[in-house]
Amino acid sequence: MRAAVRTGWRIGAAAALRGRAGRPLSQAAGESGGAEGGGGSGSREAVERLVREHPVVVFMKGSPAQPLCGFSNAVVQILRLHGVEDYRAHDVLQDPDLRQGIKNYSNWPTIPQVYLNGEFVGGCDILLQMHQNGDLVEELKKLGIRSALLDAEKDQEKK
Amino acid sequence: RSFTSQTDGESRLAQVLREKFPRASAIKVVDISGGCGAMYEIHIESEEFREKRTVQQHQMVNQALSEEIKHMHGLRIFTSAPK
Repeated sequence: MRAAVRTGWRIGAAAALRGRAGRPLSQAAGESGGAEGGGGSGSREAVERLVREHPVVVFMKGSPAQPLCGFSNAVVQILRLHGVEDYRAHDVLQDPDLRQGIKNYSNWPTIPQVYLNGEFVGGCDILLQMHQNGDLVEELKKLGIRSALLDAEKDQEKK
Repeated sequence: RSFTSQTDGESRLAQVLREKFPRASAIKVVDISGGCGAMYEIHIESEEFREKRTVQQHQMVNQALSEEIKHMHGLRIFTSAPK
């Protein structure tokens, strides 16, 4: 545990030199980092509460109104295409403990992360694939959310 | 980029993937950070992915490259089973 905290500090110092954008995935899955432990915002319990807060929960960089990363933006745009505007989005750039905690929780090294009904579904690439192959419409239906694309198709058929 | 077909990073990652996915029928690693080794795109086709959900397939790749991923800023993964 101590070694991980020291490593975290060293990486933090190096990252400070690189600037905010230059943060490697060094604290990825496997390393516990200093973020966990009794009730911090990155603890397992805290993350568990967040992913269960709403049928659709997204951990991203920036906000839906202003994504700060292309991959996070892609997730926001895909959800918007399906008419999903009511969801919980958490900006990990605002909370380093959460940023690390969510990676530990899902055992997944990157952001964004999409959770449907408390279950980790994947990142931007997987969401894009689900959007393209129709799986996303099905998954949203299971949550009681009707994808806007279904109505768009109906309009097409009428023409 | 010039005439070199692969960066060192791409070769190394492809090598690790070949070892960790012995049944892979296709492996492609592309440095999408302009040769900086900061971000990669990985394509793997392998029998080992059959019948597994996409997120599970990607987890397998994350596990295989857990050491290398620590030094990246991001990666994209595309997996499939042979048709």
